[in-house]
Amino acid sequence: MNAKTCYHCGDSIDGIAIQKADKDFCCIGCKSVYTLLNEHHLGDFYTYEKAPGLKPNIPLQDKYKFLELDEISKRFITYEDDEIIKITLSLPSIHCSSCIYLLENSAKINPAIISCQVHFLKKEASISFNKNKAKLSEIALFLDRIGYTPNFNSKQSHKAKDKNFLFKIGIAGFAFGSIMLWSTPSYFGIAKDNKTFSDFTTYLSFIISLPVLLYSARDYFISAYKAIRARSINLDIPITLGIIALYLQSIYSIFTHEGPGYLDSFAGLIFFLLIGKWFQNISYQSLNFERDNASYFPVAVTRIMGKIEEIIPLEKVKTNDIIQIRNEEIIPCDAELISENAEIDYSFVTGESKIIKKIKGDLIYAGGKLIGQYITLKALSSSDRSQITQLWNEVKNKKEHHTLISYQDKISYFFLIILLSIAAISSCVWYFIDSTMIPKVLISILIVACPCALALSAPFTLGNISRILGRKGLYIKNTSVIEALLSITSIVFDKTGTLSDPSKNEITCLMDDLEIQEQNMLQNITRSSTHPLSKFIYAHFSTDLITQVKFDQFEEIKGKGIKAEYKGHIYRIGNAAFTNQKSGTDTTEVYYTKDGVLLQHFTFTSHFRTGISQMLADLKNYKIYVLSGDNDQDKKTLISLGFEEKNIRFNQEAKDKFEIINALNQSNEKVLMIGDGLNDTGALASAQVGIALSEDMFRFTPNSDGILSAKMLIALPSLMKIAKFSTLVLKICLAFSICYNIIGLSFAISGNLSPLIAAILMPISSITVVVLSTLIIQIRYRKTSTEKK
Amino acid sequence: MGMIYLMLIVSLLIALFFLGFYFWAAKNGQFDDDYTPSVRMLFDDETTIKNDNGDTTI
Repeated sequence: MNAKTCYHCGDSIDGIAIQKADKDFCCIGCKSVYTLLNEHHLGDFYTYEKAPGLKPNIPLQDKYKFLELDEISKRFITYEDDEIIKITLSLPSIHCSSCIYLLENSAKINPAIISCQVHFLKKEASISFNKNKAKLSEIALFLDRIGYTPNFNSKQSHKAKDKNFLFKIGIAGFAFGSIMLWSTPSYFGIAKDNKTFSDFTTYLSFIISLPVLLYSARDYFISAYKAIRARSINLDIPITLGIIALYLQSIYSIFTHEGPGYLDSFAGLIFFLLIGKWFQNISYQSLNFERDNASYFPVAVTRIMGKIEEIIPLEKVKTNDIIQIRNEEIIPCDAELISENAEIDYSFVTGESKIIKKIKGDLIYAGGKLIGQYITLKALSSSDRSQITQLWNEVKNKKEHHTLISYQDKISYFFLIILLSIAAISSCVWYFIDSTMIPKVLISILIVACPCALALSAPFTLGNISRILGRKGLYIKNTSVIEALLSITSIVFDKTGTLSDPSKNEITCLMDDLEIQEQNMLQNITRSSTHPLSKFIYAHFSTDLITQVKFDQFEEIKGKGIKAEYKGHIYRIGNAAFTNQKSGTDTTEVYYTKDGVLLQHFTFTSHFRTGISQMLADLKNYKIYVLSGDNDQDKKTLISLGFEEKNIRFNQEAKDKFEIINALNQSNEKVLMIGDGLNDTGALASAQVGIALSEDMFRFTPNSDGILSAKMLIALPSLMKIAKFSTLVLKICLAFSICYNIIGLSFAISGNLSPLIAAILMPISSITVVVLSTLIIQIRYRKTSTEKK
Repeated sequence: MGMIYLMLIVSLLIALFFLGFYFWAAKNGQFDDDYTPSVRMLFDDETTIKNDNGDTTI
């Protein structure tokens, strides 16, 4: 079947498509953006990528009113004069080259915008606009309307840090090149005849090498020092040993006029190491895993004083202020509820995604998220971000206990032992041959054994692998996640939202359409319930026509249904037994009766993603578990997909999931948890690797080690294979660097290590390892992509 | 022999010039975004005008 998809946003179209110019659209919003773009001759938007659009939003007119406050807007304004304002906004929904095209041409649509420049990787746009033509809040509204909702909570990126790193590489590279150039004569023995010249170059090299030692190499010293203080071993210790040995030996030979020393190798070593580090660091700037929970805070709230509504920054909220909070916003401070009722989701604080109902006069603690209509609150304290963040972190900190010993650190342990024993043995041997040679041999060993190639192999291999995973839809937090993935023994899936796609849950009305009044009652009743099925029914109908009804009696009986009384009529919504109906099917069903007469009969079927059984067949080396928060209605389907009955658990709340993962951890299973983000926060955090599945990739996923595009879930086996492939590459690199070390050590032990040999051997070993790792992965990856075709 | 000292100094000055140039570029954000410009240059300067039938006229 060839399903219709929206020309603008690419969503599949259920029901009748809205058509314009032979193109199908899923909603009016998409069509209007298309029309807008076409009117302004930006039709090219659709040529760079297929269906690149975002579902446009219909934001509230005053959604960005807080930007009219100077103290808030000035946080985003980078430049302002009488006419022009420049701002840098974070637009998390930037996702393809067409986005760049649209945003950078937005000046053609909105006359107030003068220019717009997109930083794709950071998902930021720098916009300058004419402030006489539009306010900042209007610009934000405009962006929101075409689908790019600005995020005003994101923090400024750490630009300064990155730049320091660039400077460090620059200095090391400069010193490496210069010193090597000046040392060339001495490599060929030319300088020997001219003492003053060689002295001049060596002193010059010494001066230039100082900033390399003090500035560029600083991180290695710090890291080694920290490791020693923590009584652990990392690869930076042998590197630091090598660096120090190199440098001391060089200074000694320079000041005793013995020769130029190894300063060229020293600068080169630092240069290559820094490049390796830089390569490791350029990952996904756009996916900010460390995003602070505070980004969910409202930037400003509406304060009501008498009849005046005014918007104030959050920091200015004082005790006894009357404030308004909107849907999906975090309650910023402890408060008393003034509105009739409210539903609050405390999953950030408790880890349980259970919606708690509050009625007028109740105390509402800070940190919960409001679900539903806006509410009015009386603040009982001033807002304290740090306190709430602390609360959230209590859930979060559970992650700490399973720190992984990385591959490199494991190797460096053996490396150090072998290095020290080789040094000890060879000095023993030299003691009998020529004891004056011992210092030279010792230092040569430390220099040549410096695990530079080894240090480079891991960042390049893991970096390349993580980029390939990214191309396939799995974005990981850092390279150590790959190492963690290798040790996985069991995989735990969440059902709803992971294996099944809740947005595609099918709801079928088996009877004729309801009359307006009955439908209104149905919606009023279902709205008051938090049961997922109620929500489905509520969302199934249009919400435009609701008139609020106050029930005479309302009762929700857990596991059965809802009974409501209104003007003498008794309405029941629930299962067959509860509504006195005969159950017709073995699917989930809901009946709606009025005074015992059946009005409507709904059935629900979970929509499982396609390809799951194939995925399970490919994952047979792992123990597979399914944890579901729902009842066992899908049990048969799950078993038919290939899950083992004993490993499926139903009715699991967030806390139960967390405990199951912990139990698995304790029985020495290494768990990969795949869940849908917010609801499984605790479970994701306690698993060895927690991967959040995301439909749109821009969602906030606390505590996860990676984000997997929902479409790519079924590709999980091949993703695991790619991760596994990194071990092979690392082993090959290890073999190569050991070869180089053996060659180098043979020179060192025999006392023949000259600066020239060091200057050749060290860069070559590093470069081959880097090239090798990159080549193997690229060739292998290209193969898998052609296999698929 | 004096020439080689001069050459050495000149080479150092050239290298320093490039180092300074590199610092200047790094400071001015030359290395901030290595992706967007590669896409941006591929956009057509004069956007083609498409009418509603999808036919392209320029």
